Amino acid sequence: MTTRLSRRHFNILALGAAAAGFLPMQARAAGGLVAATFPGNWEDGYRRVLTPLLSEKGFDLTISPALAQDQLAKVMASPDAPAFDTLLMSLGQGAVAIENDLIQKIDPARLSNWDKLDPAFQGEYGPTVTVEVNGICYNPGLVPRPAGYADLFNKPEYAGKVSWTGFGSNTAVMAYTQLAKIFGTGPDDMEAVFQLFRDHPDQLNNVVDSTNSQMTLFQQGEIAVFMCSTGNVAKLKSLGLNAEFVHPETGSPAAPVNIHLTKGSQNVDAAYAYMDAAISAAAQTELMAPPTATFPTNHDVALTPEIEQYVTREDLPNLVYPDWTLINQNRDAWIRAFDAVVAG
Amino acid sequence: MRASGVPFLTPMLTLSVLFFAAPLAMLVGYSFVGETGFTLDNYARFLGDPFNFRVLVNTFRLGIQTVLGVTLLGIPIALLYWHSGPRVRQVIIFLTLIPMLTSNVVRTFAWIVILGRQGPISETLLAFGFTDGPISLMFTELGLVLAMTQIDLPLVVLPLIAMLSRLPTSLGEAAEVSGAGPWRILITVLIPLMLPALLAGWVLVFASTSASFVTQAVIGGARNVYMPQLIYREVGTLFDWPLAAAIAVVLLLTSGAVLLAITFLSRHRRLANHA
Repeated sequence: MTTRLSRRHFNILALGAAAAGFLPMQARAAGGLVAATFPGNWEDGYRRVLTPLLSEKGFDLTISPALAQDQLAKVMASPDAPAFDTLLMSLGQGAVAIENDLIQKIDPARLSNWDKLDPAFQGEYGPTVTVEVNGICYNPGLVPRPAGYADLFNKPEYAGKVSWTGFGSNTAVMAYTQLAKIFGTGPDDMEAVFQLFRDHPDQLNNVVDSTNSQMTLFQQGEIAVFMCSTGNVAKLKSLGLNAEFVHPETGSPAAPVNIHLTKGSQNVDAAYAYMDAAISAAAQTELMAPPTATFPTNHDVALTPEIEQYVTREDLPNLVYPDWTLINQNRDAWIRAFDAVVAG
Repeated sequence: MRASGVPFLTPMLTLSVLFFAAPLAMLVGYSFVGETGFTLDNYARFLGDPFNFRVLVNTFRLGIQTVLGVTLLGIPIALLYWHSGPRVRQVIIFLTLIPMLTSNVVRTFAWIVILGRQGPISETLLAFGFTDGPISLMFTELGLVLAMTQIDLPLVVLPLIAMLSRLPTSLGEAAEVSGAGPWRILITVLIPLMLPALLAGWVLVFASTSASFVTQAVIGGARNVYMPQLIYREVGTLFDWPLAAAIAVVLLLTSGAVLLAITFLSRHRRLANHA
């Protein structure tokens, strides 16, 4: 028997195949959620912990890794059909999202865990899911313990072993504002920081594009020191690497991290379920364990000794919270100026 | 009468217009957008900054160095293939194609290990006493050229192999009988015959290297800035899209000019006759 495929049948098949391509989009519209998270630890942790919690509530969760700046760029590219239903970012980028009308205020009544958050973590544009505490990561096998940022420039044992990133990274920009306070007249005296780098060209040897690249280089023994969050160190330690966290003597910069509901999200119910899951005691207890090691904002969650070695709830008011309005006003100029300094 | 080919071209032309020509036109249009409407300010800002000009020069230098690298490595590999038996030829083809089947990101991160202080290059130099201590080629232009050369090598080797496969190996013997030494055979007989394939490979390598964002960012670090990183910075960090579009148009025009020059060269009557 021979089967002949007529042109009409072929066309019907082709149309059917093309229509099948739209099925996932329909499925997404029906109950799926695309949530942006930072790459690395965050991505792994949120996918592992929150996906089953959302599934129990009947929602499919797609975790999409993107740095905060990339999240903003992608949503700005198509604000009417945003690439993400929710965004994950700290106050600096959050302010940009509000200014550009990319996110919307939330209705706390739709979050069953809202009351488990301290008032400081109840943002009108979304809940704070953790506070990232920043400091200095170093390899005790390669360099002595630095007391703070100034040591990295003043002591010769760190020459050529420190890695920095550009001003696009929040971790870096917080460290630079601290350096500006130490070596300049205040957090916005960035010319003092640029001059510091010009005076110490060895500090420019290992400037890379992101903290993730620094983690790779640290793992390979290429660098011995980089500016980090406690989560970065927890991840490196979980890989068996010789890494320690230092609270700089001038204070540890900190950044609350919030989930925001994107304007134009087609999955608002799923987005609320996701936010609620992210601040639930069940999720935050799991995310507190290494390698994610995120500080829980839900006050029902008791801190583990692993978290308390970095920060306790009592420490929170004493951390250094940068002025993001000041940073956002100057960030573009600082990025361009720093690139010129680095590239010589 | 031969049937017109236009109906068969229609799907390809439609796709090209929708997904290439139209977005390209939008990109070009966007580069002229300013706060008050049409402006040349984005181009003026880019061209007025000496840093940007240096980045453009760096990008071209990287492309040219990689082209040189793949040429120096590709010609011996292709000649080895030409002189080998079927089994060795299969091995050469396999080894040439394998890198192309690996993700560019994976290959780039593998180069971090190779170029690092504890990598094979550093350890070899140390073992033979060429250096006093471990060295790192990470975040250096040399390291980046080495990585790009390996990544783009198949783009030159494959056209060269295709070209040489059509030539009888007795060609070299004939030249030898006529009194030519090995170097003379290479320079006066083989390289002119290989030139059209080399030019085709150079076009691909130059285009690939100039636009290779991931490798440039990871291996080159922040000290070696190239045009794709500049475009990414304006789009993803500074959100200045009209300026990013202007930089993209400058990159398109400048690299397009180089690629066109190579293409015209490869179509030159004397070279075309070798093909």
